[in-house]
Amino acid sequence: MSESLASTLAEYTTASEQMDYAKTGIHARHTATLEHVLSVGKTFLDEGYIFEMLTCQDLREKEEVMRLCYTFNALDSVDRHLVHVDIAGGLDAETFEAPTMSKLAGGANWQEREVFDMYGVTFTDHPELERLLLPEDADFFPLRKDFGRIEDAEDADE
Amino acid sequence: MSSDSEANKDAEDGEVYSLNMGPQHPSMHGVLRLLLDLRGEEVVKAKPVIGYSHRAHEKMAENRNTLQFLPNTSRVDYLSGMIYNLGYCQAIEKILEIEVPERAIFIRVIANELNRVASHLLWFGTFLLDLGGITPFLYSFDDREEILDILDQVTGSRLTYCYGRFGGVTWDVDENFLARTTAFLARIRDRLGMYKQLVTDNIILRERCTGVGVVSTALAKSYGVTGPSLRASGVAYDVRKAEPYGGYDRFDFEVPVLHEGDTMARFHIRIREIEESCKIIEQAIKGIPEGDILPKKMPKRFKLPEGEFYFAVESARGHFGMYIVGDGSDIPVKLKLRTPSFSNLSAMPETLAGTMLADTIAIVGSIDVVMPEIDR
Repeated sequence: MSESLASTLAEYTTASEQMDYAKTGIHARHTATLEHVLSVGKTFLDEGYIFEMLTCQDLREKEEVMRLCYTFNALDSVDRHLVHVDIAGGLDAETFEAPTMSKLAGGANWQEREVFDMYGVTFTDHPELERLLLPEDADFFPLRKDFGRIEDAEDADE
Repeated sequence: MSSDSEANKDAEDGEVYSLNMGPQHPSMHGVLRLLLDLRGEEVVKAKPVIGYSHRAHEKMAENRNTLQFLPNTSRVDYLSGMIYNLGYCQAIEKILEIEVPERAIFIRVIANELNRVASHLLWFGTFLLDLGGITPFLYSFDDREEILDILDQVTGSRLTYCYGRFGGVTWDVDENFLARTTAFLARIRDRLGMYKQLVTDNIILRERCTGVGVVSTALAKSYGVTGPSLRASGVAYDVRKAEPYGGYDRFDFEVPVLHEGDTMARFHIRIREIEESCKIIEQAIKGIPEGDILPKKMPKRFKLPEGEFYFAVESARGHFGMYIVGDGSDIPVKLKLRTPSFSNLSAMPETLAGTMLADTIAIVGSIDVVMPEIDR
């Protein structure tokens, strides 16, 4: 990681820690607020990093947050950064909103749609926030922890 | 759809109409559906509609222990099932610091590369079939059948292998396996010479593919395109070189790169990758040591430590990443499968806009999409 990248990141992140790459496969982990997530993304993308992955963790029960997990990776010299962005909200929260990164990286478009599909996080200003893998008329978010185990899931018809 | 408003706007240029291509179309691999807005034969807008083979593998991973998820892995991408299966084993081994015996490392490399060659051969056949050439399809399936037979011998399956175990592989390979693999290498090298004469140098194919569906380096990086499609766009990124896993750093092979970014470049890259895989297999057969195929001492339960892990392997289509979150139990809290075709296909709407309908087949075929891997 170059020094300019490190100093710019320090402005936008609330916490950063180096990780043991040999064991975890991740070089560093950062925590950012919703307000600064686009600036963090832009910092990485401007340095030539790619938008590698976006997923979400349902931590509503324990920590009352939905946690977006982004990874950015440099292709020429592998340098993987994990960025956590917490969206506040407990089990009774109705909406989870985050800004879209799809205008900065094309790859974010589908990955954000998948997170919307599976976790119900809406990305504001997303160009086509529709169901991606599930049917258009689905009214559930299956990767949320309270969706239940697969064998307990209620049949849609009942 | 949006075509109504666009039709009014573009009335003077000709009417825009929608064409539904797939999900059951002979040249849409698996169940890809493309919703195309066309003006005459020109693609105005292409919208891939996916999810027809969604099986919720990620949800299943959160509901079963690490070992029980093993058979799922090769079902994610049935054309490079071995790479996915062994890749998942390698991820768990890295997290739990399980040491893999030398012989197993070599066996895995041979199995992985045979699988990669089989996948590329299938792509070669079906891609040309899409373009209207039936003969190469018959030849490449003949070659691929030999690989399936070789792998069937040790794994017991033809496509959805579950050959890996945490720490090694299930079954040792014998002299017959190695001899057949060596014989196959000679055969495929001979065939590649023939393919070059009959297919690669064919003027009809070249006219059809050159300059068609150009994916620029910037576009590829923006969408996270990986694998042969990225390497055809001028980026020498191969997980086997970038983040060596499973002993790949011991083998001498090249990462072919081209800069054109068109359909023809993607074609050339895959053919050259078959040659490189043959080189790796040859070295592995030469260097394979005697010994165990599984560690002597193994834990009974594979408990994931608390924390986050990311492990990537190079599948036949690109960067396959696993993001695993553990909480001390043997059931992962979260297992995200970052599959290459998903990102590769997401770059298609931008690539296809402005091309001709007939080229759509060539372009989508050339990025080698495998739908179950996208839908997971």
